[in-house]
Amino acid sequence: MKKYNYIVLPFVLASLGLGFSSCSENEDPIVEVPPVEEAFIEINGGGSTFPNMAFVDLSKEVQTAVRRDSWDLAFNSGSEFNVLINGTTGAMAYETEFTDFAQVGADLEQELRSAGSLDLTFSNLDGIKYVDNPSNPLAEFNVLGQAATSAQSAKVFVINRGESGAESKPWKKIKIYRSNNAYIIEHAEVNSNQITSVQISKDEDFNFVYFSFENGKVEVEPKKSEWDFVWTAGTSSTPFPQAFEGRLAYFFQDLTYHNIYGGVSAIQIMEANIPFDSFSVAELSGLELDSENRLVLGSNWRSGGGPNSEPNIRNDRYYIIKDKNGNHYKLRFLSLTSGGERGRPSLEYALVK
Amino acid sequence: MFRIDLNKINVIILLFLLVVNFSVLADRKGVVKDIDGKSIPFASITWSQDSGVVADEEGHFSIPDTLKNQKIRVSAIGYETSVMDINDSTSIIKVQLSPNTTELTEVVVTGYIDPQSAKQSVYQVRTISKDIIKNRAAGNIQEVLNTELGIRFSQDNAIGSSNLEMMGMAGQNIKVLIDGVPMVGRQGVNNEININQIDVNQIERIEIVEGPMSVVYGADALAGVINIITKRPETSKFLLNARIQEESVGSDYQFAQGKGNHIRSIQSQWGLSEKWSFGLGYTNNAFGGWKGENIGRQFAWLPRNQHLANTQVNFNNNNVELNYSLDYLNETITSYGPENRVEVIDSEFLTKRWMHRLNGTYTFSPNVKTSVQAGFTNYTRETITKFTNIRTGEQGLATGPDSQAKLQYSGLNFRSTTYWKLANKLALSGGLDLNYEEGQGDRISENEGIADLAAFLSAEWKPTDKLSIRPGIRSTYNSAYTAPPIIPSVNGRFNITDALNFKFGYARGFRAPSIRELYFNFFDASHSIIGNPDLKAETSHSFNTSLAMDRKVSDKVKVESSLSGFYNDVKNQITYGISPEDPRLTSLFNLEEFKTGGLMIRNKILLGKSSLDLGMSRIGRFNRISSEIPALEPMLWSTEINSNLGIYLPFADSYLNVFYKWTGALPAFVLDTESESGARAVQMDGFHWMDFTFKKSLFGNLDFTVGVRNLLDIKNIQSNTGDGSAHSGGASRPVGYGRSYFIGMNYQLFK
Repeated sequence: MKKYNYIVLPFVLASLGLGFSSCSENEDPIVEVPPVEEAFIEINGGGSTFPNMAFVDLSKEVQTAVRRDSWDLAFNSGSEFNVLINGTTGAMAYETEFTDFAQVGADLEQELRSAGSLDLTFSNLDGIKYVDNPSNPLAEFNVLGQAATSAQSAKVFVINRGESGAESKPWKKIKIYRSNNAYIIEHAEVNSNQITSVQISKDEDFNFVYFSFENGKVEVEPKKSEWDFVWTAGTSSTPFPQAFEGRLAYFFQDLTYHNIYGGVSAIQIMEANIPFDSFSVAELSGLELDSENRLVLGSNWRSGGGPNSEPNIRNDRYYIIKDKNGNHYKLRFLSLTSGGERGRPSLEYALVK
Repeated sequence: MFRIDLNKINVIILLFLLVVNFSVLADRKGVVKDIDGKSIPFASITWSQDSGVVADEEGHFSIPDTLKNQKIRVSAIGYETSVMDINDSTSIIKVQLSPNTTELTEVVVTGYIDPQSAKQSVYQVRTISKDIIKNRAAGNIQEVLNTELGIRFSQDNAIGSSNLEMMGMAGQNIKVLIDGVPMVGRQGVNNEININQIDVNQIERIEIVEGPMSVVYGADALAGVINIITKRPETSKFLLNARIQEESVGSDYQFAQGKGNHIRSIQSQWGLSEKWSFGLGYTNNAFGGWKGENIGRQFAWLPRNQHLANTQVNFNNNNVELNYSLDYLNETITSYGPENRVEVIDSEFLTKRWMHRLNGTYTFSPNVKTSVQAGFTNYTRETITKFTNIRTGEQGLATGPDSQAKLQYSGLNFRSTTYWKLANKLALSGGLDLNYEEGQGDRISENEGIADLAAFLSAEWKPTDKLSIRPGIRSTYNSAYTAPPIIPSVNGRFNITDALNFKFGYARGFRAPSIRELYFNFFDASHSIIGNPDLKAETSHSFNTSLAMDRKVSDKVKVESSLSGFYNDVKNQITYGISPEDPRLTSLFNLEEFKTGGLMIRNKILLGKSSLDLGMSRIGRFNRISSEIPALEPMLWSTEINSNLGIYLPFADSYLNVFYKWTGALPAFVLDTESESGARAVQMDGFHWMDFTFKKSLFGNLDFTVGVRNLLDIKNIQSNTGDGSAHSGGASRPVGYGRSYFIGMNYQLFK
């Protein structure tokens, strides 16, 4: 049934990627592979339960699919020490006033559960306090903040690992602090005091180092120079007057982030202003591509549907994406479904000439 | 308007007279017609105290040639009696009778074994006759009821269905019956029936009873009962009714098929003998849909194709009356998905329904009678979703969740009522009511069905001709929830004068939780809804009263007026809420209190064959937020005004009809923390609806109707919700698809 199949296994990509990066960085006179000029991609989102994050590298026409629930925390590999929770499963975190694990137990969990504080639902009007900022978590707000400078000053956080399109898992309590240029994470189940401690070192080739409570360090996103955007599901927000600061944390399917931390920028263009087909290099001048807000594509490229309409692609818009190597691509989504099933959207793109 | 068929009684009397006068030679011919030129069947023609004849079905009669220079009296039920001279020059005697407005007596059957005159019934019943349905050239029941007071429709255009609200209460509180047998719909037995899945062409009349009739009909009738009475064949008569109607949908129209609304119907009835009669009918309603503001493939009003068939067998003997009816519905609603550069997705909603009904009456003696009503309904609704890849042409069934779904309900219903006249002034009715309902479907959790067993007893006490009081009780056992042990009710009528009567009613109403509310589960990325098998019944105290006057001002002028009021106090209303055990789940609870109340004034003036109806209602709905914010007014009121004008044009021998209703704005409040009072007023705007029809009869058996539906071009009404909300479904609600035009033809053949 599938005519287009562009799934590339992560390890294949990783080995390819390694090869290329070594080429370019060493400035050896080896022939550069020219960027892909035109392509059609069906995103390997995994189908109607949208289990995957799919990282796409436009110039190489490859995508890497990773399960959304394969990780729990993302540790900033840059100069800062922010740690992100897994918004792609709708994870939420609550900062306790304690620095001692023993003081956080089942009572607090029960309190949080019955108050619904760590539930990503419409009725949780304060939800936005317990999730990372969706558009630029490193610059704007991340709920875990900067890792503490010492074990003694690190607060205990309670983490709901996310149940949005993901299987429910027991909640965790965690503490994160720095150790030289690395992180130490201590974690346990909320009602247990069996603490596991893991050291996480930064890796400059990647935006983040990913961590799973079960599997320790895990591979999730490709090297920062080897992807342009990721299609996933994830926590974003929606205006809601009654909610805290007028915004309600809400879980979106088909959420697309471009790689702002890897030097990729993007802009949305309306078909009515410049038609996709006639967009050329001449139109690039004066365009201000956004490298601060990773939600330029977001879920703007599709409509969510309503009582009388099905969710669908918005055919009136497309995107210009500039990759790290300065290639400008024009990209538009074509279909929200494949074989009538959500979670396998398709898109086409072309190098702007 | 309905006439008691006293003609039949006359036939018997006059047949007897005929036998007496058998020796008379009959060779002078005549014919009896009404002022439209339509034949009047079975008129009686008399010329002396004990001599007379009866005209046949087509109005033809013969009288003895020996009658000269005498006067004959020609009379027929429903018409003014005419006296005319017979002289030599008259070759064919042509008699024209004008209608007698005072003889038009409405009959109703809801709540009784035998038809009662609407005036004498203790219940407040509105009837809508097949003549009104015909005058409106209606294609479905919604087009008949949309100008009735106290009735509102809301379109569910995502699935091509419509829901009914009555007396301020939602569709799940309205019992929809066909010949006394409950209907089964998408939500199971008697919950939110899509009333448009009924063939309007097989309807004799619609009886609308306001107020709960829980004692007689059981659960779900908190707001009222809509009983649809189907046509029955008449004895020794063949009747064929063929109808064809072409209608635009807004400005969309294609001849015969495709865009527009195309109605084809043929209904036949055949009385084989005094004992046996049969009926057979078929209707096709092909609605081409309406795109509205959509420019692509999507429709705002989904295309719908309905095939409706019915058949019936009747048997009548001295003391046995039996009717078996079978109705079949096959409906396909097509939802075209939005355009896409690669793949488009279309869905079909296929509904099939078989409804078997058995109605029987056995008369043991003039004072004891038993009736049985049994029904079996099988209802299935399938969703079929297909994808088409426009680039490759590949097609197939969509694989996503809920893309292919099937829902099936079966309902078995048996009711037996025995009427026993104990004395002249006192009669008892009692019986058993058994209902079994079973639902299966992708989203319905496993269940063993719901069995409901009830016994009921009522007495009708008529101490004088003027007064009638009917108290009743019902006791119910239900397998799925705890039913209230005893439901009482009392209804009464008092004739203050011949022209003025007063009715009152009190009933304890209740609504059983439906299979859907008990067992329906729905989970996806943003919904977690779970049924609650521990739900109790909703209960209500319901009061209604009316004062009705009808007066014949002159031979041609009659005035009818009524003033009625109602009040319902509902407890334990079933409503959605957050589960206390798990705040992530939405479930159903017996939480809310709800009240409705209202006043209704209806007036009718009959002027010969013309008539004017004028009515107004003011209905209040409980402001739920007032229980949280007591400063707010507890009841929110909305007004409705309707008027029907029927004008007979004698020069053209045709009828003009205008049907009009103003549905007033529906106010409500929503919680708003930013507002000073903590709540914000919102409202759904009001709208005017008007239909116009023109009917002309030709040759006595062919009716032409042309008209305009939705003359005022209503499409959507604004639902003024103020600020946006997270799940805003758009601030407008569909009401109509714009001004539409129709032309129809109705041919009637009877022998």
